[in-house]
Amino acid sequence: MANDEIDVAIVGSGFAGALIANELAKQGKRVVIIEAGGKVPSDINGYMARFYKASAKVPESPYTPAMFDINGQFSDELNDPAKVPAGRPTVMTLDPNTWMKPEKAYLVHTEKREDGQPVTPFGSTYERVAGGTSHWLGNSLRLVPSDFMMKTLYGKSEPSFVDWPIAYDDLVDWYGKAEAELGVSADVEDQKYLGIYFSDNYPRYPMPRIPESLTDGAIRRALTNLSPAETQFLGLGSPPTEIPVRGVPAARNSQPYRNRRACAGNTNCIPICPIQAKYDPTITLNDALNHHNVTMMSHTVAKEVVVDGTGRVSEIKYVRYGIDTDIKAKTLQNLRTVEGSIKAKIFVIAANAIETARLLLMSKNDALPNKTVANRSGMVGRHLMDHPYYVAWGVAKEQLFPYRGPLITSGIEDLCDGPFRDTRGAFRVDIGNEGWNFVVAGGAVGGDPNVTAIDFVNGVNRSGLNADGNTGNGLFGPTLITTLNANFSRQFRIGFLVEQTPDPHNRVTLADQTDGLGLQRPQIAYNISPYTKRGIVAAKQLQDLLFRRMGATEKKFDYTAVADDDPTRFEAQIGGKTVGLNYMGAGHLMGTYRMGSDPDQSVVDSFQRSHDHDNLYLVGSGTFPTGATANPTLTIAALALRTAERIAKRV
Amino acid sequence: MGKPTRETPLQPKLESDDRFPHLTRRRVLAAAAAATAAVTIGAEPVPALEPLSDDMIAFKNLSVALTGISADKLAPATDALELKQDYFKWVMDRRPGPFTTLLQIAKANATAPQAIVDQSQANLDTRFLARSIVLMWYLGAWYAPDDLQRLVESRSGKPAFISHTVISPKAYTQGWLWRVIQAHPMGYSDMQFGYWTRKPEPLEDFISRTSIKGT
Repeated sequence: MANDEIDVAIVGSGFAGALIANELAKQGKRVVIIEAGGKVPSDINGYMARFYKASAKVPESPYTPAMFDINGQFSDELNDPAKVPAGRPTVMTLDPNTWMKPEKAYLVHTEKREDGQPVTPFGSTYERVAGGTSHWLGNSLRLVPSDFMMKTLYGKSEPSFVDWPIAYDDLVDWYGKAEAELGVSADVEDQKYLGIYFSDNYPRYPMPRIPESLTDGAIRRALTNLSPAETQFLGLGSPPTEIPVRGVPAARNSQPYRNRRACAGNTNCIPICPIQAKYDPTITLNDALNHHNVTMMSHTVAKEVVVDGTGRVSEIKYVRYGIDTDIKAKTLQNLRTVEGSIKAKIFVIAANAIETARLLLMSKNDALPNKTVANRSGMVGRHLMDHPYYVAWGVAKEQLFPYRGPLITSGIEDLCDGPFRDTRGAFRVDIGNEGWNFVVAGGAVGGDPNVTAIDFVNGVNRSGLNADGNTGNGLFGPTLITTLNANFSRQFRIGFLVEQTPDPHNRVTLADQTDGLGLQRPQIAYNISPYTKRGIVAAKQLQDLLFRRMGATEKKFDYTAVADDDPTRFEAQIGGKTVGLNYMGAGHLMGTYRMGSDPDQSVVDSFQRSHDHDNLYLVGSGTFPTGATANPTLTIAALALRTAERIAKRV
Repeated sequence: MGKPTRETPLQPKLESDDRFPHLTRRRVLAAAAAATAAVTIGAEPVPALEPLSDDMIAFKNLSVALTGISADKLAPATDALELKQDYFKWVMDRRPGPFTTLLQIAKANATAPQAIVDQSQANLDTRFLARSIVLMWYLGAWYAPDDLQRLVESRSGKPAFISHTVISPKAYTQGWLWRVIQAHPMGYSDMQFGYWTRKPEPLEDFISRTSIKGT
């Protein structure tokens, strides 16, 4: 496709980019996608082999650029953020020893925020192939109507809240379309909570719900017959005597759907479903690329959005690269680059809340307000949000048989909204089906089943489960088998995704440090507000209530531990005791180019179009003005489809 | 045959000599299924049935005694995956001295699994290598004996990290721990939609009845 024939150029091939490309493709528009990472492989065998061999099965482990050497060991050389052409944050560079080291970690954390407050880690990561969400879980929740009007409902108490320029009503049909495209399994009646409703012409989800696991059922039963005194702390209108456990709508097939199989419970949604029963953006991306009018340039990094004298975007400059990655010698060598630019009628930046902000900030233009593209409001890069994720793990009195089924099948959604939102962050709860896989010992010494297995084979006690056997004497033979079975089969864990306030000082800027292409890397200033911390405190109180009921006959049932050197650690008073709490990243990057009605206070309008540049769209969860508690993907998809329809009418 | 199946025949726990394995149609089919699974993860072609060496018989008996998994499951006669060969070579390449001692212990106690365990743990020379071998079968991963010893010596202090190497994709997908906990390797399951709503089949079905009774 010659440059002057392109209708729409899209930067990024993740959820938003792929969906928009595919919608435009179906209407015959000429589309070029620019992707910083590799192309979509013809099969996932390479991903699977890399995952199986990896010594740390972190979310990024199957994907490229390669993190592990030929022996499956994490390699500092292969992950050198100054050498990798298009790098990414990984779980491996988030530990207490590396997150503040720019020579190790792709994201450069500042020492303090601009308001002088201390900085804590931004705990989320993303990918460079088909977007940041290749390794997503599949959770496809709608926001609840209150989530769109946080200023109206709770703004007097928490002044950082703003309203979205659209309401649930505006998105309800788009949610339905997104659910069809992703292939969501859920039950309509089960999903009617806190004001969520469905269109009259939407009698059911594309597929029936994914059935609950044994762990789900145990937690559901534990949260019935509660006394009002036990649930007072939740701050609901009247204290509930039951907290419902609902199926989590999942872009995971419960029946064959669009040529993909039904879920076989591989318990591996993250990092990768081995049978692609879980939707991921490569599905839509491949659909888009099957149209002759769509092409993708892989290994191509957008470096500048160019605005002409009329205020329209005229072109995007890019650099294409190749590099020789040798996982045996652990070298990155022979970088080749070619620079170029792409012209189109309309430009879409779909590169996630960190990389989109970075690209805009790299697009300097002295003629523009704040000397940066799309940044009249000065809001580009501000209000970075995640869902700070508090995780707790314990042992149930009954066997739950974890490490089976999809990673998550059910959750608690009814605590996403309520009068408590005047004073603390809301949360939703997910229930893990993977035992202590990523939580054992706080993740500091590896994952399960390895850590607990070593405890009993080697007579040590890193998991906490082998206190009586911490003698140096291992177990063998049939005793080992029955002991391991008894311990693993009762493991469970839950996680709380807490609402984070939009804080202008939580910010993406440009670091002095550069990547392998010589481009400035993202610099992050981040922490969580007292309002959000109070949400985590309430999460801890719900954990205590639940765990008492789950393991009441055991002398010890709560194994949750927060390490003293955890950089996300903070302390709170609960029931007269000082309690150490923490958070992880949920992988939900939001807020850095917020949507709004006022061009002085927001970056894009409700169609995700730049207030400043008529032919520039910035899409993805970077446009979310507030973060709510639901995993953002379905809303990203709904907004993307709405934006695609608008763009299609213009070219 | 490394995958749990309800139909695998139960066998005595220790086999002093299986050079003339009793081939049944079921076992051949099981091996063929395993071979199919192996191809998808890049395993080598199915080798022809050959008599096992004395050392390999000893390694098999050693592994059965330490892991508690019955011989017919751990290292079946018709072994399409041949993990025992991979593991034997892996250990012999790295710790030939202590490994030879362990094989001698197994040869001297071919019908006495508890004696194999006890003697392997009696000396520092073999104690942690024996544990490395258990972890190898259970997790498909190599934890060096020195690192396991270090964990024991520092067990009263702050939990320490030790590294490991996944021996191969095949080894990961055949790890026995997953069967011991009545599950499947994460990312490698042949179960069907909805199985997670029900309790798993009995533990015996995953690892054989004889091993759980310790007979």
